[in-house]
Amino acid sequence: MRNKEVFFLLPILLLLSCSDDDVQQELTTELNLTFDHHVGGEDLELSGQTYEKNAGEHFSIDTLKYIISNIELQLTNGDTFKYPVEESYFVINEKDPSSLSIDLEDIPADNYDKIRFGFGIDQSNYPLNGVDNFVPTAEENGMLWSWSAGYKFLKLEGEYGNSIAEVEQKFLYHVGSHGENLDNYKVVELDLGETLRLDQDGQSIRLDMDVLKIFNAVHAFEIAEKDDIQVDPVNAPKIAENMKNSFQVDAIVQASE
Amino acid sequence: MLRYWSYIAILMTLVSCSGDEDAVVEDLEENKELEVPQPAYFPELTYDINENPPTEKGFELGKKLFYDGKLSSSGVISCGFCHMQEFAFTHHTHRVSHGVGGALGTRNAQPLHNLAYKKSFNWDGAAAHLDAHFIIPITTEVEMNEEIGNVLEKLKDDPSYQEMFNAAFEDGQIDTKNLFDALAQFLVMMVSAETKYDRVVHQGTAEFTAEEQAGKALFESKCSSCHSGELFTNQQYMNNGLPINPQYDDKGRGRVTGNPDDDHTFQVPSLRNIEFTLPYMHDGRFDTLEEVLNFYDSGVEETPNISQEMYNENNVPGIPLTEEEKEKIIAFLKTLSDVDLTLDERFSEF
Repeated sequence: MRNKEVFFLLPILLLLSCSDDDVQQELTTELNLTFDHHVGGEDLELSGQTYEKNAGEHFSIDTLKYIISNIELQLTNGDTFKYPVEESYFVINEKDPSSLSIDLEDIPADNYDKIRFGFGIDQSNYPLNGVDNFVPTAEENGMLWSWSAGYKFLKLEGEYGNSIAEVEQKFLYHVGSHGENLDNYKVVELDLGETLRLDQDGQSIRLDMDVLKIFNAVHAFEIAEKDDIQVDPVNAPKIAENMKNSFQVDAIVQASE
Repeated sequence: MLRYWSYIAILMTLVSCSGDEDAVVEDLEENKELEVPQPAYFPELTYDINENPPTEKGFELGKKLFYDGKLSSSGVISCGFCHMQEFAFTHHTHRVSHGVGGALGTRNAQPLHNLAYKKSFNWDGAAAHLDAHFIIPITTEVEMNEEIGNVLEKLKDDPSYQEMFNAAFEDGQIDTKNLFDALAQFLVMMVSAETKYDRVVHQGTAEFTAEEQAGKALFESKCSSCHSGELFTNQQYMNNGLPINPQYDDKGRGRVTGNPDDDHTFQVPSLRNIEFTLPYMHDGRFDTLEEVLNFYDSGVEETPNISQEMYNENNVPGIPLTEEEKEKIIAFLKTLSDVDLTLDERFSEF
């Protein structure tokens, strides 16, 4: 192609390629997601506070971290808004309050009634959709299995025992995907309970996660039976299934500045 | 006018709203795409080159990264330290890889060639994708012992890298994705198919000696059920009955899957360039191909999860071979050597 023609065409091109800006002038807004962790009816406090779980076991939690990804909102008309996948990988870390509040930007101002997000990293995307750029964040948070080039989706660590006084035995659950042959990624889908009417003022969805359900939502775990679960093709998928069922929407509130 | 519209259609896919029209035209001319060699008889590519098409600038950047010690915590261990070109990108004579501060790994560095055709990576398949593999050597303590985040910081502090990332990638970002993409672009170009075997069997421009021909027949009857196809591997994880080395007690694939049935299984290696890639086995315990065949002849042990393929017709584990048969098989294996790969300046450090 001769250069002359290119330059003749460029103004047209620029107009055309930028023209969809008009469409994008629909209103967008921010949406905040807040993650609250509790144990049954009590707030989760790390290190020291003991709780009772199924099978009469008592436990305390030192570390609770997990990865969420692929955030989607379902409109009341049934359509889905997908948050840009490459922007949607987060580590939620109970120890780091700033990680418990996620600000999503440029959400179309519309009406929504469901939220979906992934627990872990969807291997079908891997290594596409910008997940590579999540590596340093996962690394800083110790959510990378370097020797298996994979992500730890969940890190739950603490102590347990048969009575409050005996909560001193360490336990550790590390759940992720195992190479390419066992995918523990799960999609969490939650009804918002009411219609989320996003207008220009940012709002916040408060998500509750119940730690007791990690032990007992679908599959009951007695910690004493196996207190170190990592790369475990039998138990890891069950814990992932429990994780999927441990969230609920608490409320939609006006985001505080 | 129709012609103009087709130009528009083509350009539309290339032009973003940056408005830097001259740069767009120049970039297209400057950073040419490279063609990944695909011998007609090779299996299909497993690496999706449409997602990360190698370009001149990306390849050049990948090569610089491959040979740069900045990727390690000590600043001196590069990828090329353990993957030396002269030896088909293995750590010649080192049984196990050596890392930062003289640390010893537990496995023998694998050769780098035909990676765009591999289904999974490392002796245990821990990385299901080439781009994911890089995390392992960079972050493993006994290898490069570094954090990806630190590597990116070091690269950002180096103006020459900023320039090269700009030239190689549209967004010019020094980030994990572009780091891995550049390394992958360098590596997928290492296609090895210039061997006597290829010339005899696929190009019809050479002939086997009688010994090589006999070795090929023996190989096909005794070895090729696992070392199958044009890459000479079925790309499976198998236990060949190698006595378990108590020093490492390496569970192999079992560590990745957590499945006890996978304990002590390892990736069946490609035999292309096997002449150059000594020492042999996942822990580099054998120095010569003779030792390897002696093992198959008389050293195979019934370890847990030993492959059924290892049982001979008498239902005894092992592949009985006479001395003469061993020599013939080795003669054939040496026809799988690609000297060009070991000399190709495109891949050379200097």
